[in-house]
Amino acid sequence: MLSLSAFTRRFLADPTAIGAFIVVAALVAMAVLAPWIAPHDPYDPLQIDIMDSEMPPSWMPGGEERFLLGTDPQGRGVLSTIMHGTGISLLIGIGAVIVQAFIGVSLGLISGYRGGWIDSFLMRLADIQMSLSTLMLAIISLAVFSAAFGPEAYAQYAIFFLILVIGVAEWPRYARTVRASVLAEKKKEYVDAARIIGLAPRIIMRRHILPNTLTPVLVISTIQVAEAIVTEAALSFLGLGMPVNRPSLGSLIRSGFEFIFSGSWWITLFPAIVLILLILSINLLGDWLRDTLNPKLRRGED
Amino acid sequence: MKFFRSITGAAVLAAVLAGAGIADAKTLKMAYDADPVSLDPHEQLSGGTLQLSHMLFDPLVRWTKDLGFEGRIAKSWERLDDVTVRFHLRQGVKFHSGNTLTAKDVKWTFDRLRTSPDFKGIFLPFKDMKIIDDHTVDLVTDGPFPLVLHDATYIFPMDSKFYEGKAEITKHGDSFASQHASGTGPFVITSREQGVRVEFTRFKDYWDKSSPGNVDKIIFTPIAEDPTRVAALLSGDVDFIAPVPPTDLERIDADPNVDLVTMTGTRIITLQMNQNRVEAFKDPKVRLAIVYAINNAGIAKKIMKGFGTAAGQMSPEGYLGYNEKLTPRFDLAKAQALMKEAGYGDGLSISMMCPNNRYVNDAKICEAAANMLAKIKIKVDLTTMPKAQYWPKFDERAADIMMIGWHSDTEDSANFYEFLSMTPNKDSGRGQYNSGNYSNAEVDRLTEASLLETDDAKRAEMLRKVEQIMYDEAAFVPLHWQDLSWAARKGVNIEAVVNVQNFPYLGDLVIK
Amino acid sequence: MHILAFLIRRSAQAVIVMLVISVIGFSIQDQLGDPLRELVGQSVSEAERDAMRDRMGLNDPFWVQYFRFLGNAVHGDLGNSYFFKKPALDVILAKFPATFELVIGATLIFVSISIPAGVYCAINPRSLLARAIMGGSIIGISVPIFLTAIFLIWIFAVELGWMPSYGRGETVTLPWGWPTGFLTRDGLAHLVLPSISLASIMLPLFVRLIRAEMMETLGTEYVRFAWAKGLTARRVWFVHAFRNTLLPVVTVGGMQIGTLIAYTILTETVFQWPGMGFLFLEAVNRVDTPLIIAYIIVVGLIFVVVNTIVDLVYTLINPMVKLPGAQG
Repeated sequence: MLSLSAFTRRFLADPTAIGAFIVVAALVAMAVLAPWIAPHDPYDPLQIDIMDSEMPPSWMPGGEERFLLGTDPQGRGVLSTIMHGTGISLLIGIGAVIVQAFIGVSLGLISGYRGGWIDSFLMRLADIQMSLSTLMLAIISLAVFSAAFGPEAYAQYAIFFLILVIGVAEWPRYARTVRASVLAEKKKEYVDAARIIGLAPRIIMRRHILPNTLTPVLVISTIQVAEAIVTEAALSFLGLGMPVNRPSLGSLIRSGFEFIFSGSWWITLFPAIVLILLILSINLLGDWLRDTLNPKLRRGED
Repeated sequence: MKFFRSITGAAVLAAVLAGAGIADAKTLKMAYDADPVSLDPHEQLSGGTLQLSHMLFDPLVRWTKDLGFEGRIAKSWERLDDVTVRFHLRQGVKFHSGNTLTAKDVKWTFDRLRTSPDFKGIFLPFKDMKIIDDHTVDLVTDGPFPLVLHDATYIFPMDSKFYEGKAEITKHGDSFASQHASGTGPFVITSREQGVRVEFTRFKDYWDKSSPGNVDKIIFTPIAEDPTRVAALLSGDVDFIAPVPPTDLERIDADPNVDLVTMTGTRIITLQMNQNRVEAFKDPKVRLAIVYAINNAGIAKKIMKGFGTAAGQMSPEGYLGYNEKLTPRFDLAKAQALMKEAGYGDGLSISMMCPNNRYVNDAKICEAAANMLAKIKIKVDLTTMPKAQYWPKFDERAADIMMIGWHSDTEDSANFYEFLSMTPNKDSGRGQYNSGNYSNAEVDRLTEASLLETDDAKRAEMLRKVEQIMYDEAAFVPLHWQDLSWAARKGVNIEAVVNVQNFPYLGDLVIK
Repeated sequence: MHILAFLIRRSAQAVIVMLVISVIGFSIQDQLGDPLRELVGQSVSEAERDAMRDRMGLNDPFWVQYFRFLGNAVHGDLGNSYFFKKPALDVILAKFPATFELVIGATLIFVSISIPAGVYCAINPRSLLARAIMGGSIIGISVPIFLTAIFLIWIFAVELGWMPSYGRGETVTLPWGWPTGFLTRDGLAHLVLPSISLASIMLPLFVRLIRAEMMETLGTEYVRFAWAKGLTARRVWFVHAFRNTLLPVVTVGGMQIGTLIAYTILTETVFQWPGMGFLFLEAVNRVDTPLIIAYIIVVGLIFVVVNTIVDLVYTLINPMVKLPGAQG
């Protein structure tokens, strides 16, 4: 385990880490402050006029100062929509990771500590689910949800569906990591001691083993947030994600895509750049965290 | 030596003549978005069926480009009295099977139409078709009916002897008629692989010798996916496609090797406001406010990119009910004033539903409309969905504002009002698609009267009055008439053979 | 015997999975609008419609309809697509060659690049090139596949006009009915951008995977033993180490089938590549239920088969790869 000062020292010594952190912080700040700093409110129909649609960025002919990065086909400013959309992408990413972590850590603890048939069953389930791949599971579940609940309900609860589906799809990764830690910790003496005293398994798991498994959980969480954001972007791009009037970065890219061919490239390009920056910096940060805290968790060895 | 040379000369001459003959044989490769489900013209009432009917059969009369009638199987007609119209049939018209057409075939076809679940509705006003002689028939209606010719365009005489005993109509079943056809039309089907390809050859004994058409062979492939169909045209794989997907209209227009043909259509796209669900919609001022708030010219320009004509009424130009004074309206200030006057200065909260794959840009139009309504403080909760889910919702009247487009089967104004504006009546079927529950006794009366009045001038007056009433009361929100579009490579002159009904008269098509 | 038992057990599991899929799929039908709309015109009365529903068996209870569906499915009849008006299974299988060729194109690219790259990085982990490759792979993983595809289209097709922007181009139909894009210049031109896009996301994954596995293998006693024997570097790396890397890579790679199918859907969507993935999404958009269900069943089948084969290969070969000191 690393002490806090050693950790900070290592952080300040690595320019990539610092750079990535700054970018992430800036984007998160932009997203959180969007309601106050965005030039327009893209969700307020009063501010949208169809006659403003598809205007190019302000530095190009036909562009206006009002809309720095141009407008989308309904007349919303691209800059404002990106600011709000980033917030939605982040919300879903973090929300999904919370769900994943909760389910995965709980199941991982139980699986590792109990062993036996529960362990085999859960790990087998995890295997199947992992090989199905999150994206595939999500596509099929969301297609079924949207068909079963009808489009009104779906549009209203899209954000919850997305968090739920991505959350449930990825628990195996957490479960496995935690289980590995648990198996290692189980062999240690303090666990035997606790058992001899007569503490209930649940208490042993929660109070003693859990804290020791938290480092790996923290490490993979960062990268999982990036994963979740990518997954959500892909789903929204396919039309299975956020609806058009509360767009995330992925759905912005989707609505702009058909205009690439007719020349209105700005509707897709700017959200795409922001998305890539966001994911890349979170990934870099996550990689650095993993290398610093626990090199044994390199992804290739899963 | 000389002998040899003359033989060679003759051979060359023969080859050249044969070559010229082959060069003259024009083949048209075409692609629609779907192939005909059946060869039975009475199985399904749909654009696809009717398009096929114009290729394999000929109607009694058909529409001209300017919404007049030209005789096909019927060479002339006259109205004998209030309830009878007499048709004189051409002589010597042959069916593909070799049989000759007589009045018996026409009557047989008429009787069969009345048993078809899809078509019988069109022929409800008719009492009977009487055979006067081998080449004369009378169409008799129950009462005075002005749309006899309009409905006669649906009568495509079939070869009664050919279908004798095997004439049952089934829905995508394997009836004889759905797999075999014998009509009088310009083309005969020589091979058919359902869902893959159909081949037509020109009918040698086609009766219409004055037709300029020079297409000898047609290879028809259905390409359901829009981009694939467009790609096939642009790469030269096919010569003619329809419909042209809206996202590609500009691109095809710009391509030098391809001609884009568009025409203001007769399909009106509208929004209906449900008076039973929203108390406020009962007040014409509120409805007018909504009409004034929606910038349909802006929608036609920015969303339809000019491939739609903004509308102030239902009847398009050329219809009897069209009133040029009823222009599209947009005035935000006036809309806000009207809302205040009506007592809704604080606004309303309503729901709206639209399909997202039925009409061109339907979802985008509704989104724009919702944004526009926000400016008069009407908060809209919009949901869009695929047509498979939308129509059941429409039937349920599940939202406060719903979108619907309509095209008149009879190419006549009254049809619009019959289904969209008249007071809904389950028994008579009137107002079946009037989800707004708009009801005006005068509109009802005038529409019914127009269906019994055979004088065109009198009818026009009635129908125009209906449009005026609906305009003044804002019975619905008119958006625009969708353009129709076709595309063909240069040299294939489809401009001459297409029309607002979207029945390309391929028999008359000329290819350079 | 061992293998037979394994196969039987796996087949039973597979059947259960497929049944679950079919029930889920079939129950969606209730929610999905009226199949009758597609068949009749606007002006047909409600009474006529009800009569038709009865005749088509649409008013029967759920289980009756489900078993009818199941019975048909076993014969390969998964209903007719509403949109194409043809048997759903036929529609999907007709699109299979397109998807398959895309996957082959992408596989050729990423296999031929990731193997040398991964091996090189494992052998010289500290070299500049290796670091550059690993750095590049992070960027590769961070750019979502659909963005790579969009950028490629925008730059090479729209702006530069070098490559076609969508579709499959000209195909030649082989004697047994398989339309291929590999034999025409046009077909190959259309394959380039989509294959590169799909490869671009699999590449970084495999480079990292190969590097990690190879590095681990290089650290095993088996390899150190080979060094001790005095074998040339080349022999050690490529004959001993690499061969043993291949197995875990193939098995882990085989588990990526789900990811591959998902990424194929994305690529096909961007390029409007007429494969099964694009077909599925359009079916979802149109609520073409028979097609949706048929796709889920076909994909489920592919997935189960591939996984079974991978597991089979692993169990067969694994016992022979019990290397002393290695971490199996």
